Order: sequence, then C-alpha cells, then structure tokens
Amino acid sequence: MTKSLSPNNRKVVLELKNITKTYITGINSFNALDNVNLKIYEGEFMSITGPSGSGKSTLMHIIGLLDNPTSGEVILNGKNIAKLKEHQLAQVRNVTLGFVFQQFNLLAKTSSLDNVLLPLLYSDVPKKNRQNIALELLDKVNLSDKITNTPAQLSGGQQQRVAIARALVNNPKIILADEPTGNLDSKSGIEIMKLFHHLNEKEGRTIVFVTHDMDLAKEANRTIIIKDGKILEK
Amino acid sequence: MLKPSFNDLLKSSFRSILKNKSRTILTSLGIIIGVTSVILLTSIGNGLKKYVTDQFDSLGANSIYVSPGKVFNDNGGFAQGGMANMILNSFTQKDVQNLKRKLLDVEITPASAVFADISSSFNTQKAIEIDGSTEKFGENSNLVPSAGNGRWFTEEENSKKTPVIILGYQLAQDLFPKSVALGKKVIIKGKTLKVIGVSDKKGASFGGPSFDKQAYIPLNVAFDLSGKNEIQSIIIKAKNKDSIEATKKEITNIMLKKYDKDAFSVFDSSQLLNSINSIISMLTIGLTGIAAISLVVGGIGIMNIMLVSVTERTREIGLRKAIGAYPRAILIQFLIEAVILSCIGGATGILLGYLGTLAIKSFFPAQVTLSSVILAFGVSSVVGIVFGVAPARKASKLSPIEALRYE
Repeated sequence: MTKSLSPNNRKVVLELKNITKTYITGINSFNALDNVNLKIYEGEFMSITGPSGSGKSTLMHIIGLLDNPTSGEVILNGKNIAKLKEHQLAQVRNVTLGFVFQQFNLLAKTSSLDNVLLPLLYSDVPKKNRQNIALELLDKVNLSDKITNTPAQLSGGQQQRVAIARALVNNPKIILADEPTGNLDSKSGIEIMKLFHHLNEKEGRTIVFVTHDMDLAKEANRTIIIKDGKILEK
Repeated sequence: MLKPSFNDLLKSSFRSILKNKSRTILTSLGIIIGVTSVILLTSIGNGLKKYVTDQFDSLGANSIYVSPGKVFNDNGGFAQGGMANMILNSFTQKDVQNLKRKLLDVEITPASAVFADISSSFNTQKAIEIDGSTEKFGENSNLVPSAGNGRWFTEEENSKKTPVIILGYQLAQDLFPKSVALGKKVIIKGKTLKVIGVSDKKGASFGGPSFDKQAYIPLNVAFDLSGKNEIQSIIIKAKNKDSIEATKKEITNIMLKKYDKDAFSVFDSSQLLNSINSIISMLTIGLTGIAAISLVVGGIGIMNIMLVSVTERTREIGLRKAIGAYPRAILIQFLIEAVILSCIGGATGILLGYLGTLAIKSFFPAQVTLSSVILAFGVSSVVGIVFGVAPARKASKLSPIEALRYE
C-alpha cells in the first residue's frame, strides 16, 4: 500500500501527453478532453471520477486504446502507439489490457466458460492450455460451479465476475473498468470491489476504474477528478 | 497466422447459427428452393435425354431413314414444318425398287402409315396409327412379339395381302379389355383382320404416339386400306456402323436423280437423336436458368438476415473488437456465417432434389447427375460469399466504442 502511495520511483505503464479529443457536431466543436496529461504507474489502483459529460468515458477509451486522440501522445510501456494500425492496436488490447464494462457485455446464450475463453481466440496462447486457464480463473472468481451456465442463468454479480475472469484471461498488466458496479446491487458491488482489491494487492495488477460515485472512487489509492475535459486533481 | 484459427471460426459460426434455428431455416429457404428446383430440372432433363437415347437404341442401330420433305435444317435442328413434311409427301414403290436394285447387301424396308379407327367386338379405338411394312420391319424395329404372344407376319402374307394385324401392347388391352386379343378379329375401314400377334410393352414414346398404341400390318394390306400406293418412309439397315455415312451418301445420290434436294431427307438415328437431345438440352438450360433466379433471391435473403444480424450483434462485435479482434477476424467470421447458411441451404436443397427425383422416377424418367450436384453446391457457396461480403464488411468496420455504446 505504501508503495502505491508514493508512485514517484515506480515504472510508468501508460502515459498520456497533452491529449485533446475534439468532437465536431455540425458547425460546433467541443473538447471532450482538453490537454490532458496523466501517468499511470505499474501496480497502482486508480479511479477516474467526475460528473456525467465531464469526459471520463472519453479518457477511458483513450487509455483503453479504443479511440484515437485528436492530438497528443499515448505511450504504452514506453512506446508511442499513435503509429499502430488498427489490427496492431487490437493485438495490444488483447495482450496488455483487460476490460470490464458496466453492461458486462457477455455473449448471450453462451456458457461462462466460452465467454471467458473469448479473448484467447484472438491470442497466441496455445489451444491446449486455453481451457485450463479459463477454468482456473472461473475458480478464482468463485464460479467453478457455474461454468456451463449462460449469462441469463446468472445474477448480475456473477455475470460481472465472469466478465472479470474474461478480462484476466490473457494475464494483462492493466485492467480497465468502466462503472463496474453501476448495474449491481450494493452487496454485489462490494464483492466486485473486493475482487479488484485482491487483484491489485495480491497480484500486483494495475487497475483503473471509472465511476461517477465519489465514495466508490475513494476506494482507490489515487483518484482523478475530471471536469469539462480537464483533470482537476491528481 | 490466422487468429482465431479457421477451426475456431467455424465452430463459433456454427454455434451462432444454431442459436437461431428457426431463423437459419427460414433464411436458407430461398437457397433450398433454388437448389432443389435446379437439381430436379436438370435431373428431369438428363433423364429424358437418357430415355430418348435408349429408345433410339431399341429402334435398332445402323438404321438409315429416308423421308419425303426436308426434316432437318442446316444446323441439325428440325426444319420448319419438318415432321409434317414426312406425312404430306410420299415415295412410290418405284423408288423402293430403284434403291433395292442399286444398293447391295442392305435391308430395305418401306413403310406406309394409315390413320384409321380400329374396332373390336368390344369397342372402337379412334385414329390409330397403323403402320404398313414388310416382314423385316418387326425384327428391325424390335416389335416382334415374344413367345406366347403370337408372331410377326410373313413375306407370303404380305405378297398375298393376307388380312393379318399385330397390335401394340396398350392397343390390344384397349380393344380387348377383358380377354386375350391374340386370334381375335378387328375391323378397319370395313375390312376384317385377324390378330396374329401382340407386341411387348415399349413404354411411352418421345413426342409422337406410343408404339404401344399402334398396330402393324403388311404393306400391301396398307395400300389396300388407304387406296393409295404411297410410301412415307424407307428404312435401310446399313451393314455396320462404319458404313452408315457411305450408305447415306449413296442413297442421297440415287434419290437426287429423281428428286430435288429439299424434297427428301436421308438421316440416321444418331442425327435424329442429336436434334432431339439438343432441344431437350435447350429446354433444360432455360428452365434451370429460371430456377437459378431463385438462388439469387435466396442470396438476397441471406444478405438481408446477415445485415440484421450485424445490427443485432453490434455490441458483440464491439466487445470482440475491444478484447482484441482485428477487423479481418470479424469480416471472416461473418462471411463464414453467410457461407454456412447458404451451404446448409445448398445441402438441404440437394437432398430434397435427390428425394424429389426418386419420387418422380416412378412415372417420369429422371436422373440426378454428379455435375448438377457439384454445380448447385458451388453456386450456393458462391452466393453465400457474394451476398455475405456486404454485411461482413459492415461488421468489420464498426467502431468498438460506438458498438459498445449501442443499445
């Protein structure tokens, strides 16, 4: 814990330099992100918060390499990713990042196991190892008894745990969560946050999560508040 | 290296197709109908061709026919009014004698048809084709009754104008529905003839009347019945297959001395066969082409459903892209789904076409050919690719953020 509170001597995994994202709607344009600078350190547990429309989702998309900034640089593990082609970005997302969404985004009518296996389809992990990796992770999120269940047969909390197992399946350094507890009751929400703490403290994974809930944001070691596309506080 | 592997793509495509069983069936229906009709129509066309060929073989090989009028045009098809010319004009006994004198080592059988009503003690059959010919005609045309069903007439019966008749299988049954025809009497134009034979069952003839519904009498008896000594065709049996062309030339030269070149035709069964087969082929191709339109309609159906599927699965596509699917992986996934849909349709269509052919076979000659199966399957997978490209491209170009945001 003390380590993540003093991040200065730690490795930067992802850095945003002067990021601006401009949306043009008709004749108007506005900056969803306005000259944002941000460093994410290895092993830190960070939250991004702010009112709706503040640009926190846009920031998340840029961090998640899902969207290109209008200007500025995204440096991942010391490499500028601006020059990467779409299929190379996909590859980087597959290996380096794990995504957890508010809507879970599990494939319907598909078993927990197959949902967890999904990212491995696009990876270089040998086929014979895939099933074991997925089963291990389902065990880690306490769903060993639900591997054949489809999302419709699972509670919200269980679905989000499947989604977390899916995010972990390629053993990514960074886990990005967008309102991970937004669709859950408070009890399930607490469980999910516990799981994130565990992943951060016991496994040293970098976790970045977006929430509009200030109280939840405080669970992180570092909270970034964003408003009108600008970071107010680090 | 392709990621996911082709196997994984195939598996996940099958899975998503099986998730929507009724939609899959409905989507494939267009292709199923198209392929079924293509297979059925080509089967019927091919069966018909084979049937005609068999019929010609049974008519006797090496036969050359001399007919009045121009039967074929220069392209091998039938000349305008061709078959009618055979009936409108005729040869004379002299022509036959002339040919007999000049051609050696060949059998020459003149034939003259009379159309008349035939009455038995039970009923009357109207406008029956009664072929007058020689004692050789039965043998050459495979019409000699088999043992127990009587015999063909003799040379003596022909020259003495003995009133005897051989009935076709069906005609005998029609005239004598409840008894045996052999040995009974029939009346044609007031003249009484004795039934001395009943031909074996030949089945339906192509185009014209069935052999089974005809009757056969000595040529001289036919002259008496018609009151004219006209000969409508002369059948000349060449020694062997290789001498057909030479004999045809010889016949033509003999006939040209008396007739204009358009006044008669000399042809052999292969020529007639080719003409009929080319007509059947044209019909088959035309009908199959019409049936193939439904394949295109089926393809559009697949495109439609795939486009709906892309919209429906926008979030799934967004998710796949977010977790590492590159555009081409999405493109291939959707393309494979479209191809699987159309191939399911193709395979079902082939099966139905095959079963349909089996069903038709009992009353109509039909035969499934390997080439039509390969063609149908090939076309349906091409349809899948062609009509799958647009939806697949649409899917692969979705932006992951937009797709994930999609409600």
